[in-house]
Amino acid sequence: MPEALSQQKPIEKRIDGSTVRLVCADVTEADVDAFVFYAQPDLKLGSGFGTAISVRGGPSVQKELDELGPIQTGEVVVSGAGNLKAKFIIHALGPRFNEEDTEGKLRTTVINSLKAAEEKGVTRIALPPMGAGFYTVPLDLCARVMIEAIQDYLQGETKIEEVLICAGDRREFKPFAARLA
Amino acid sequence: MSEKKARSHKAEKVIERLGQKLSRQIAGSMVACVHCGMCTESCHYVLANPGDPTYAPAYKADKIRKLFKRHYDWTGRFFPWWVKAGSVYTDADLEELKDTVFGKCTNCRRCSLNCPMGVDLASFNRMARGLLVSVGVMPEGVAVVSKDQWEIGNQMGVLKEDYLETLEWMAEELQDELDDPQADIPVDKTDCEVVYSINPREVKYDPRSISDAAKIFHFAGENWTMPSEGWDMTNFGLFSGDDDLGGAVARRLYEKVSELRGKKLVISECGHGYRSTRCEGPNWAKQDVPFEMESSVLTMLRYVKEGRIKVDKTRNTTSVTFHDSCNNARSCGLTEEPRELLNLVCTDFREMTPNRAENYCCTGGGGAMSMSEYTPRRLKSGKVKADQLKATGAKVVVTSCHNCVDGLADVIRHYKLDMEVTQLVNLVANALVIPEKAAPSAEEKVAQEKVAALESAKPVALPLADLKFVVADDEPDQLAFLSTVFEDYGATVVTATNGDETLETVRREKPDLLTLDLEMPGLNVGDVFETLRKDPELEDLKVCIITGRPELRKLIYDRSVRVPEGYLDKPVTEETLLLTVRKILGIHEHET
Repeated sequence: MPEALSQQKPIEKRIDGSTVRLVCADVTEADVDAFVFYAQPDLKLGSGFGTAISVRGGPSVQKELDELGPIQTGEVVVSGAGNLKAKFIIHALGPRFNEEDTEGKLRTTVINSLKAAEEKGVTRIALPPMGAGFYTVPLDLCARVMIEAIQDYLQGETKIEEVLICAGDRREFKPFAARLA
Repeated sequence: MSEKKARSHKAEKVIERLGQKLSRQIAGSMVACVHCGMCTESCHYVLANPGDPTYAPAYKADKIRKLFKRHYDWTGRFFPWWVKAGSVYTDADLEELKDTVFGKCTNCRRCSLNCPMGVDLASFNRMARGLLVSVGVMPEGVAVVSKDQWEIGNQMGVLKEDYLETLEWMAEELQDELDDPQADIPVDKTDCEVVYSINPREVKYDPRSISDAAKIFHFAGENWTMPSEGWDMTNFGLFSGDDDLGGAVARRLYEKVSELRGKKLVISECGHGYRSTRCEGPNWAKQDVPFEMESSVLTMLRYVKEGRIKVDKTRNTTSVTFHDSCNNARSCGLTEEPRELLNLVCTDFREMTPNRAENYCCTGGGGAMSMSEYTPRRLKSGKVKADQLKATGAKVVVTSCHNCVDGLADVIRHYKLDMEVTQLVNLVANALVIPEKAAPSAEEKVAQEKVAALESAKPVALPLADLKFVVADDEPDQLAFLSTVFEDYGATVVTATNGDETLETVRREKPDLLTLDLEMPGLNVGDVFETLRKDPELEDLKVCIITGRPELRKLIYDRSVRVPEGYLDKPVTEETLLLTVRKILGIHEHET
C-alpha cells in the first residue's frame, strides 16, 4: 500500500555546494525564502495556486502585482508573499498550452526564476513542476528541463543553498524522482 | 488548394492531436452518420430553438466530423468537396468551434441514445473540447475550474484547512443535534469498510449534506472515514475533455483509498462524479482499482433493506418527483435504485415524463454551470425541463447529482416554478428513526427535570441576538426573505437596495455582517466591496455574497482585497442561510 503523500520520503541530490530536494507538498506552504508561481500574462493570481496565495497570503500580493504587469513569456517579477511562510513569490510566465518552443521557453523561465530569487538574496527556493498540468507542459519534459536548468544554474556561482521541488501528487513525484535518482 | 493556406500554430496542433485521439469508437461515430435526423428532436437545445438548425446534433457533429474527413479519412483527403470535408486554419476558426462544442451541447448523450447508427456525439464532442483545451481555447470558467482541480486538488479551490474545518464543524453540529459525542466524522481512519468521497460543492455551499450522510453512517453503525486528501470525487476532465486531468484526479482518489486500506469507496450523490470515478477513471488513470466503488444511493438503500437504519416515510409527505442525472441514468444505468429508495422514504412520489435514460438534461450538464457566457442559451433550453417539472405538480424535485441541483435551481428560478430541489441524502436523513436512548434512572430523571425547569425559566436565547446585519439586495422578495429570517433569529437588520446606499449604510451602521447581492443598481457592487474592504474602520466586517448570477463572481474575487467570508447561490433556503451565517460568525448550534 502507498505511503501517505505527506510522508513520501524526500529525494535529495547534492549539486556542488547546493541541495536539490524533491518532496510531495503544497508549494505555497513551503517553509522557504521564496517560491515560484506559474503566472498569467496579466499577473492576475486567478485560480489554482493563485487561490491559495490570495486566501492564505492575503490581498497584498495581488495589490503589488497590479503595478507590475503585464509580462512576456520567459519573464519573471517578484512580489512579497503576504502572510505566507515565504518572504517572496517569484511570478514566472512560462510556456502555455503547447505553444512553440515549449522546451526552450521553459528552460529560460526556470533560469530567470532562479536569477530573480538570487537577486533578492534568497538561499532556499521552492518550485512546482513548472507548466505541467493545466498549462499542458508534458510532465517528463518538465522534469527533464527543470532538473537540467537547475543543475546548470547551481553549477555556476550561486548563493542558493537549497532548491525544493514540490510535487502535488505521486504522478508528479515519479518523473522528478527518476531524474534525481 | 485550401491545404496551402497558412494555418495558425494552435490550429496545427489541434489537427495533429486529433489523430492521437481517434479511438475505434470515435472513428466509428465519425463515419456512421447518415443524416437521418432522428437525433434532432431528442436534443433539448433544438426543442427550445426550433428555428435554429445550428443546434441540431448532426449539424454540431459535422463541425467536428469535417476535420476527421479532411485529415484522417481517405474520401475527404481526395474528394473534400464531395464529403464536405473541411479544416481549421485560424484562431478564429477555433473560437467558432469552441462556441459549438462548449456552448451548444451539454454532452448529455440523449441524441446518442436515439441514433439508429450508434453515433455517440457526446464522446467526440468531448474529444473536440479536449483538443481545444490543449491549445488554451476554452471558456474562462472551464479554465478556472480546471486549474483549481489540477493545482488545489478539487474543482472549487477549497483549501485543505477549509475542508478539514468544515468537517470538524459539521461533526460538532451533529454531536450537538444528537447530543451524542460518538456521532463523528472520522478523517483518515485506516482499515474502514467505507471511505466516503464528496463533491467540493458540499463543502462550499451545502455542508448539511455532509452531516446528513454522517448521520446515516452513524446510525447504520458503519465503520467509515473521509480522506484528508484526494477527497474530491468529481472530475472536470469529463467535461473539459482533458484525459490527463481525468487520470490525475482519479489516481489521487484511488491512491488515497488504497493508502487508507479502505474496503469500499462510496461516492456521494453526483452524476458526473459517479461516472468519472467508477466508470471512466480507471481508463484515464490507466490502472486497476483494488477496491469496490458504489454510489451512496446504493449504500443508503442497502442500509434500509438490511435494517441497519430505520426510516419513517411519513416524515417526508411533500410531493416529490425525481430527475435522472444524465450521467447516472444514461451513462451508468443507475435508474431503479433511487426510485426504490424514494418510495421507502417519501409518501408522495410522482414520476416525471419522460424519465430514466430518456430524461432531459437539467441544462447544467457538461460543465455548463461554469460557462457563464452561455447562460442565456442554457436558460432558454431549460424551457423543456421547466415544462417537465411543472407537469408533475410536485413541490420538490429530487436528484442524485450536485450539478443537477444547481441546474434545476436555475431553471426553477428562471421559469418561476414553485418548487425546491433536494437530494436523497437529505430525505433519508430526515426520515431516519433515531433509536431512543436507554431510559434514565429515577435519580437521573429527577435531575433532568430540575435542569429542564431551570432552562425553561430562562428567556429563549436567539442565535443571532445582539448582532447587526446589513442586507443589500434590490429584489424586494429576496430582501424581505433575508430580513425576516435574520430578524426571526434575533438580529437587527438594516436594508439597502443599491450600491450607493449599501456603502453609506455599512459605513453608518458598522454591522457584524453584510449580505451582498452582486447585481444592484447604482455604484458598481465590486467597487462597493473593495471600498468597504479598504476602510480601516470596517476591518472586522464579515461579508457573505448572495447572488443569482455566479458569473458575476469576478466582480469581487479578482480584486486585491480580502475575499468574502461566505458565498451563497440563490435561491437560498432558510437552513442553508443560517448554517452559512453561523459558520461565518463562528456561532455553534449549541450556543443557540
